[in-house]
Amino acid sequence: MREVYCVGIGITSFTRLEYPLAEIAAYPGMMALKDSGLSKVDHVYVANMGGGKVNHQTGLASAVVDQLSLAPAGAETIENGPASGASAVKQGFMAVASGMCDTVMVIGAERMREVNDLESTEFVATLTHPHAEYIYGVTLPSLAGMFARLYMDKYGATPRHLGMVAVKNHDHAMDNFFAHLHERITLEGIIDSPEASTNNPIVADPLRFYDCCPVSDGAACVILASGDAAKKTGKPRVRLAGVGQATDTLAVHDRKDPTDLLAARGAAANAFKMAGLKPSQVDVAELHDAFTILEIAESEEVGFFKKGEGHLALEKGETRLGGSLPINPSGGLKAKGHPVGATGVGQAHEIVLQLRGEAEKRQVKGAKVGFTCNFGGFGNNVVCLAFKKEG
Amino acid sequence: MEMNIFGYKCKKCGTVHYPFRTICKKCGHTIFADKAEGYELVPLSKKGKLLTWTRLRSLPGDFEVPELLLGIVQLDDGNRVTGQLDIASPKTGMKVDGEVRIVRRDGYNEYKGMVFESA
Ligand SMILES: [Zn+2]
Repeated sequence: MREVYCVGIGITSFTRLEYPLAEIAAYPGMMALKDSGLSKVDHVYVANMGGGKVNHQTGLASAVVDQLSLAPAGAETIENGPASGASAVKQGFMAVASGMCDTVMVIGAERMREVNDLESTEFVATLTHPHAEYIYGVTLPSLAGMFARLYMDKYGATPRHLGMVAVKNHDHAMDNFFAHLHERITLEGIIDSPEASTNNPIVADPLRFYDCCPVSDGAACVILASGDAAKKTGKPRVRLAGVGQATDTLAVHDRKDPTDLLAARGAAANAFKMAGLKPSQVDVAELHDAFTILEIAESEEVGFFKKGEGHLALEKGETRLGGSLPINPSGGLKAKGHPVGATGVGQAHEIVLQLRGEAEKRQVKGAKVGFTCNFGGFGNNVVCLAFKKEG
Repeated sequence: MEMNIFGYKCKKCGTVHYPFRTICKKCGHTIFADKAEGYELVPLSKKGKLLTWTRLRSLPGDFEVPELLLGIVQLDDGNRVTGQLDIASPKTGMKVDGEVRIVRRDGYNEYKGMVFESA
């Protein structure tokens, strides 16, 4: 396999965007081309989950390649639920590593706010098992709620720990211009005060409003290149060193221990193995905190902390900017936002920025190894990426 | 007639799958082949213990109720199902009794599934 480098990045604000989906997708592509100095790429992958259902647009990659005047470059749309983004990065990685392409543009894009919140939640709920879950009204927040209750009972995490994830990630997002939520929150306001139950109502108990990510539009791009092609760009040497993926049962009740996120564990182990890295070497990570509980659980499953101890590391501030292993310096899905198909590429964007040392106020000092976990379905299809700064 | 939710019992190794699976997870037998060779339908138990639950207040648009209680139940026969709860204050670990009822309507379609009450 050839080595693969990240030579260009671009992103839109994650928010409500009043532009056609193809233009939202093209924008970070344009920025990434500028960033890399390239004017052409061999291939374009566009991750998107809802184009066909929410925006009445299928075959998005064909529209995007034309928007960017990159034809006749090859182009494909990648749909893998909320892990579409990292899946597209994986496809790009394989294309360059195999020698088939020298330069590949990977875009993730979503425009969910074309419909109302109920419709977008309903659309995401089509990820669940059609007969065994969906018909009952099961949505992603309800699976996360049932997971959270089981996990908290077993490991002693409390609603305060969930709140700490939200407060931390909202704080981090204050320094991210592109984040969806620029709103500082406190444990007082969302948990302790008499107004907390009004400020922070139940969504899927024990999960409350501030435990759930917002519904966002947005797009992000990473351009991948072979070693030789990367050298020509003169960009900092950020290598995509490991890619791992694993799957699990579709129905959550079908898992032997539903608090075990086996796909996250497997995907992370595969990514670390390919990269020749260990979890203890990671300086900065972006984890898939669509729900606060997931940041805690994933921080254990990917190997940063022992099972059941993620909330203790959080409590000590280890996962905050300035701590021993900052998690979600971008604000995470919780506060940066979660345009589903864009999220995995957005995570990669943040890590490349961090390893280049260009993350400004939210820079993790001296970061050399970065890691992402993009959690698809309710943990039934997870893609992890490991990045390494060279030179 | 009493309605049931059915599991799919692999004819080779006896593992019960719910929901349906084309190839047996335990032994690799092709369950899908046909009913005579592949699987036997077995009604799932309706009694069990509540493993976990949630009170969902942000509902899919076609539910005209303010909240929905959902849970995963560990059945007495060793299988597990997701279902709705008709229980005012659920408690993890409580004993529950299930019944097949209409759980969702969309347009002219009605979907039946397991609804649990406190035992
Ligand atoms: Zn079998």
